Order: sequence, then C-alpha cells, then structure tokens
Amino acid sequence: MVSLARTIRSIRRVGVREWWHQMQYIGDAKSGRFIGKDQFGNRYFENLNPEEEIPGRDRWVDFAQHDYNATQVPPEWHAWLSHIRKDAPTEDPVVQNLSPPWKAPWVENLTGTRGSYKSYNTVKPKYTAWDPKVATRGPSV
Amino acid sequence: MSFLRAYMAAGPSARVIAARFANSPSSSIIARRLLSNATPRLAAADPHKHVHSHGHPDYIQDVIDPRSPPLNIPLPTDKNPDVHDPYHGGPSALEKAVHIFFFTEIIRGMWIVLEQFFRPPYTIMYPFEKGPLSPRFRGEHALRRYPSGEERCIACKLCEAICPAQAITIESEARQDGSRRTTRYDIDMTKCIYCGFCQEACPVDAIVETQNQEFSTETREELLYNKEKLLANGDRAEAEIAANLHADHVYR
Repeated sequence: MVSLARTIRSIRRVGVREWWHQMQYIGDAKSGRFIGKDQFGNRYFENLNPEEEIPGRDRWVDFAQHDYNATQVPPEWHAWLSHIRKDAPTEDPVVQNLSPPWKAPWVENLTGTRGSYKSYNTVKPKYTAWDPKVATRGPSV
Repeated sequence: MSFLRAYMAAGPSARVIAARFANSPSSSIIARRLLSNATPRLAAADPHKHVHSHGHPDYIQDVIDPRSPPLNIPLPTDKNPDVHDPYHGGPSALEKAVHIFFFTEIIRGMWIVLEQFFRPPYTIMYPFEKGPLSPRFRGEHALRRYPSGEERCIACKLCEAICPAQAITIESEARQDGSRRTTRYDIDMTKCIYCGFCQEACPVDAIVETQNQEFSTETREELLYNKEKLLANGDRAEAEIAANLHADHVYR
C-alpha cells in the first residue's frame, strides 16, 4: 500500500504476528507508541513522527472485537483519537478531574440489535380512550 | 524617493502610469518592480512621510495622496502601439504552436498524476483512525447534570424557541420540591440541523451537542430522542463534554 521501506520497518518493530493482525484489521503496517488500553480492551497507539505517519493517521485504535464498530471507543478515548484532546485520558488531568462519580458506563451504538433505543413518551397522555360507564338497568326500586 | 512614491500611491492605475514612463528601459523596469512588489499601503507607511514640520510623527493628520491618475496620460484606447502591445513579452507564435502540437500541457498533467502514483496515499483508515474534530464540534445531543447529579435543565424553553427546525418539544411541571423541571424533552433528530443554537441559548449549559457523530440508526424511530435518552447520553459522555467546555471556556 505504501512504501516498502515503511512496511519493512514496521514489521521489524512490531513483529510478524502483530503485522498480520494489523493487516487483517487496519490494513496497513503501522508502528508507534502504545498509549493505553481502555475498559473494553481496545488498544491505542500514537506515532507523531511526520516521516512515518502523515497527519491524521498518527493516532489509531486496535479494536478488541472483530466488529469494525467505531462506537466501541469510549468518549474519553474518542476525544483523544479525534485529536480533540492533546493528551490521552490516562494522562489528561482535565478529563480525570471532570469525570463525575455518577458517570454511566459507555454503551456502543446498539442499533439493529434488541438493545436498540426505542422512543417512548415521558409524560402522561393528554387524552385517553373513552371508557364507557354503563348505568345499571332494571328496577331501581 | 518622493518621485517613486507618487507612482506607488497611484494604486490600480499603476500600469498605466508605468507605461507612461516607459521611455527609458531602466526606469521602466524599476518602476514595474516597485509597483509589483509594493502595495500603496506600504508606500503610505514610509517613515519620512509621517514626520511633519513640528518634528514628531503624526499618523492621523497624514496627507493622503490622491489615488486617481492625472488626466493627461495615454489611455488604452489611444493609438500608441509601442506603449500598449498586449503580446509584448509573451510567448511567441512558434512557442505556442509547439505547445499545442506536442501536447505539452497534457504531458505535464499526466506527469503530476504519475507523481501522485508514487506518493503515499492520504487515506485515513476509518474507524481505526479518525480525522481531527474541534471541541466545538456539533454532534449528538445530550442533557447534562450538575456535579451533584442534579439535572441542569430548568425548562426555560429557550432552546425550543430558538430552534430553527423546531425539533425540540418541551413540557414542564413543578417537581415535588417546588423546582420546575421538564417532564418531556424530545428532540427529533431527523429534523435537527445541528446548528448549535440550542446550546448557545441554554443559560445553564444543560443541552449540549457532544462530539459523537456515530449515532446512525436503522430506523427513524430510534432518532426520536426523549429526555431519558438525552440524559443517558450526557451521563455517559460527561467527562468529554466537560473537558470540551473547559477547553473553550476562555472564548465563551
């Protein structure tokens, strides 16, 4: 895909096994610094060397699941991966200090599955169906 | 110096004046170079010009030279072929014929294509790599909470009022402790145009647009968000939202 020298250099760094894994997923031989691993087991890498990675390709994720699902990245790592935050959430004091104790666990986009979101009404309905009240008939005396 | 500055201050009509002084080749070259390199504003910034008779620089009472050319210059319509030769200095007919008959432009274009063929591709391998986003990126909506866990929205309905697509529907009631809260906060994400007016209008930073852009769904019904869904979005992404607001707080 790209230059042979870059591929060989990456293979020598990461090993043939990891290179084969990369070719099955990201489709390119990449090598960089291991930044961290999130709670789902996704691994995050970074290579800021402009000679080796062009801008925009310098941060990447190796998914734990064979799903190619971009929403499996939790939002803190998403901010790092999208270059919103400079530092990874493991090193970023702002993200760590602003994480509230009531933070909910991240759920991937579950559309198309049984866990998908279904909209519902959160207020009492304004009108209800007519419920007929039938007066009892017969001799009332 | 004042001689040249007069031409430079001429501005748009510079070429005409340069043609007027094209009698001797050396002076015309100097005039052309100065005219092409220096803007009239640069000429006005000449330090000698600002020093008046009192000896101190005064930038306000500066005399501005008139930009209009004098009336006695030759116009392009005048019969003066050596002053106005549109082909002067251009390629000759032989050169143009060579470029036409040997397809040199096509060859140059194909050479650029060949250069790109041997360059590394600029392809970002989504979803493993992602392009850069701004902390102000406007994606999926979320309702935030205070650090105590209390929901922020006070049902002022400013977002509902400002929404140009009228995608927000709010109903409110008083809670048992007397505070006004929303009972219904629906956003029709199929109507939403992601303009960000709702988060601009919100006085308590309750409704925000997160950086999540991967909320595509299979059915339209899943895009009719209600309050629980929006609060759940905020609960999950609160660290990222708060970090983005922190990154931008000096500009707000």
